[in-house]
Amino acid sequence: MTTETTTIETMFAGGRMAQRVPPRSSRAADRRRARVGLLFISPWLIGFFAFFVYPFLATLYYSFTNFGGVGAAKWVGLANYEALFRDPLFKTSVFNTFYYTAIELPVATASALGLALLLNMNVKGRAIYRTIFYIPSIVPLVASSLIFVWMFNPVSGIVNDLLSGLHIPGPEWFFSITWSKPSFILLGLWGLGQPMVIYLAGLQGVPKDMYEVANLDGAGPWQRLRYVTLPMISPVILFNVILQLVACISYFTQAQVIEGTDIGGPGTSTWFYVQYLYEQAFQFLKFGYSSAMAFLLFVVSAAIMVVLFKSSSRWIYYASEQQ
Amino acid sequence: MEQGEMGWATRLPNPLRSLRRRRGTRLASAIAAATLVGVTGLSTAPPASASTVNITWWTMWSGQTLQLLHQMIGQFEKTHPGITVTEENIPSVATTSTAKLLSTIAAGDPPDIFTEWWPEIGSFAANGDIVPMNQFLTGKYSGFEKWMWPIAAQGGTYNHKLYAVPMSMNSWALYYNKAMLKAAGIKSPPKTLAQLDADSAKEWIIKHGKLVQMGFYPGNYFLFFAPEFGATNCITSAGKYDYATCKAAQTEMNWLASFNKYPYGQIQALITAEGSVAGGQTDPFVAGKEGFVFSGPWEGAQNVPVANPKMEGNFGVVPFPGTVPVPSTIGQGNYNIIPKGAAHPKQAFEFISWLAGYGNQNFTASIDPKGGWVPAGPSVTKAPAYQAWLKANPWLHGFLPEMSSPYSAAPELTPTQSQLFNAMDTAADNVLQKIMTPEQALKYIDQQGNS
Repeated sequence: MTTETTTIETMFAGGRMAQRVPPRSSRAADRRRARVGLLFISPWLIGFFAFFVYPFLATLYYSFTNFGGVGAAKWVGLANYEALFRDPLFKTSVFNTFYYTAIELPVATASALGLALLLNMNVKGRAIYRTIFYIPSIVPLVASSLIFVWMFNPVSGIVNDLLSGLHIPGPEWFFSITWSKPSFILLGLWGLGQPMVIYLAGLQGVPKDMYEVANLDGAGPWQRLRYVTLPMISPVILFNVILQLVACISYFTQAQVIEGTDIGGPGTSTWFYVQYLYEQAFQFLKFGYSSAMAFLLFVVSAAIMVVLFKSSSRWIYYASEQQ
Repeated sequence: MEQGEMGWATRLPNPLRSLRRRRGTRLASAIAAATLVGVTGLSTAPPASASTVNITWWTMWSGQTLQLLHQMIGQFEKTHPGITVTEENIPSVATTSTAKLLSTIAAGDPPDIFTEWWPEIGSFAANGDIVPMNQFLTGKYSGFEKWMWPIAAQGGTYNHKLYAVPMSMNSWALYYNKAMLKAAGIKSPPKTLAQLDADSAKEWIIKHGKLVQMGFYPGNYFLFFAPEFGATNCITSAGKYDYATCKAAQTEMNWLASFNKYPYGQIQALITAEGSVAGGQTDPFVAGKEGFVFSGPWEGAQNVPVANPKMEGNFGVVPFPGTVPVPSTIGQGNYNIIPKGAAHPKQAFEFISWLAGYGNQNFTASIDPKGGWVPAGPSVTKAPAYQAWLKANPWLHGFLPEMSSPYSAAPELTPTQSQLFNAMDTAADNVLQKIMTPEQALKYIDQQGNS
């Protein structure tokens, strides 16, 4: 009984815990409990250290080495980082990824939100529309990429056939330097179902009485959207923006599938950062160089996330904090 | 005994608590152990027979070619009772096979044999990821290197050591569509570059802004056309790539640039539309929409009969009319390598040399025609089965003299070979789209190849 009381007191003592040292048997019990607890969460811990902490630290180390993937790594200091800034293809891949992110992120966010707003309206057959708009997002990336190449083929694709029916000369889409990146942006919009559903869930969580109050105050549709809906779902917007941002920065699968053997093509117009990183490692066996690219990507991504979170207090409304 | 904030474990009577603790500890230990096993892949493998050696072979093929490989394995096992072969298909999409191979080498459990087209052999050899096969070139294998075509051996040699042996070789020549040639009013296939350009120009058809039919288009094949211009190995005595000042490379790149008048995007779209992934017939030539194509024996032996049998008898093959005397081709093939740490390198080499046809001419001669392959050594071509194939398909004769031609060449294996090849593709692509001048393209090749 003494043991339990002491333990409880210790736990609830807060700042006094340091002064009240529990008896030896209690400390042993705590250690045992901690050991069991650690053993229970060990699958996650093992995964975390093996697949996150170790690769992260290894990537950092290898970024300062010349390493072919197997055998000993040779320390080269900052040489890989210096080489990156002299590499024209690296700059191209940064530009292409930035271009894609800068356009895809706002366009996808606005489109998904717009769709969610439309599908939140009380119209007949709403459930069917929601299903139709969601379905594309469950199509595997490889399949949807191949379908897009087929549909957008300027010689045999249905899109240019439709355009020519309207007397509009269709572009060469994925096969043109000018149109290749916009084509990938269009492809990105194909999978809007996922963020749309999240926005929809957020919209349904906005209390109806807030709209009633806004109506009483004479607010029109735009004002209701601007001053009620958007602030209320702003945490959902932040969540989706973060997910989309990560997906844009690490854009890989669709580009790799569509470009086939002409990676980065046409020309170098679709060399995306992660593709270039991957090629450096697994085709050119420059693991040190690709590790430097990976670490740089981590630093930039982390910096963007920090800015996003720091600034979120200005544009995110958390109802619970205001109460 | 009530459950409170401390949880029930602390309130149980001592013996039960102890039991709970032990159970908890055991359960947690079991979960941890199971995870470790899952993570590390520890498992019990079935024991191999003591008298039989099993070698693993990673290949990258599927479909008809994979069936041929299985036939070859069956025959090898029949004639080599002490060795069995386990073939594993590792798709080579987006360099995933390289990633997997390196992972297994690092883990100390690589396959015994890995098939590779050759862009990475130089880097593998330089990094010590694969083992030289010279240690096995004794006894009955002492004449093996000279048994191969010179360019076949050259394509697998790094630093004067043999690191890779081809199962079969690819040689390249110019296919022409007879009906399209006739429709364009051309009496015989071209014998010079100028003739090829002129003949090809008559075959392009663009209707309502859409490309319907192509003449000859080189694509970004700078590397594959290089022997035809004598530009395969533009390397200085210091071992640096120097395509920018190499006259032959300049001639070749200028020739490629002359095709920038054709609609690049539409050509790529037509090639993609006719590709097998899009449900097409492999390529526009097989589909009867391209007048000329630079390809290997597989085009006529495998692609045409499978994808468009109507084309059989409607095509011919001539040596590509480059600037060096014909014939010539690049030394390229399906190379087998032995990774570092392979469990059975000796048996692996035995299988590799057998696959090449060494001491196995007759069987290889019966298989190579099915794959549309040129053998690794000339003696296979003299075997009855191969001769019968040549007789039945006279157009194939063009591919064999190339193999022993002094103008044929294999790219010298270097640690940055893969980067060089990539740079050649990109540079040629850029020239065809007028993004780079030929001079800029050649400088780009040097810069990438030497980095």
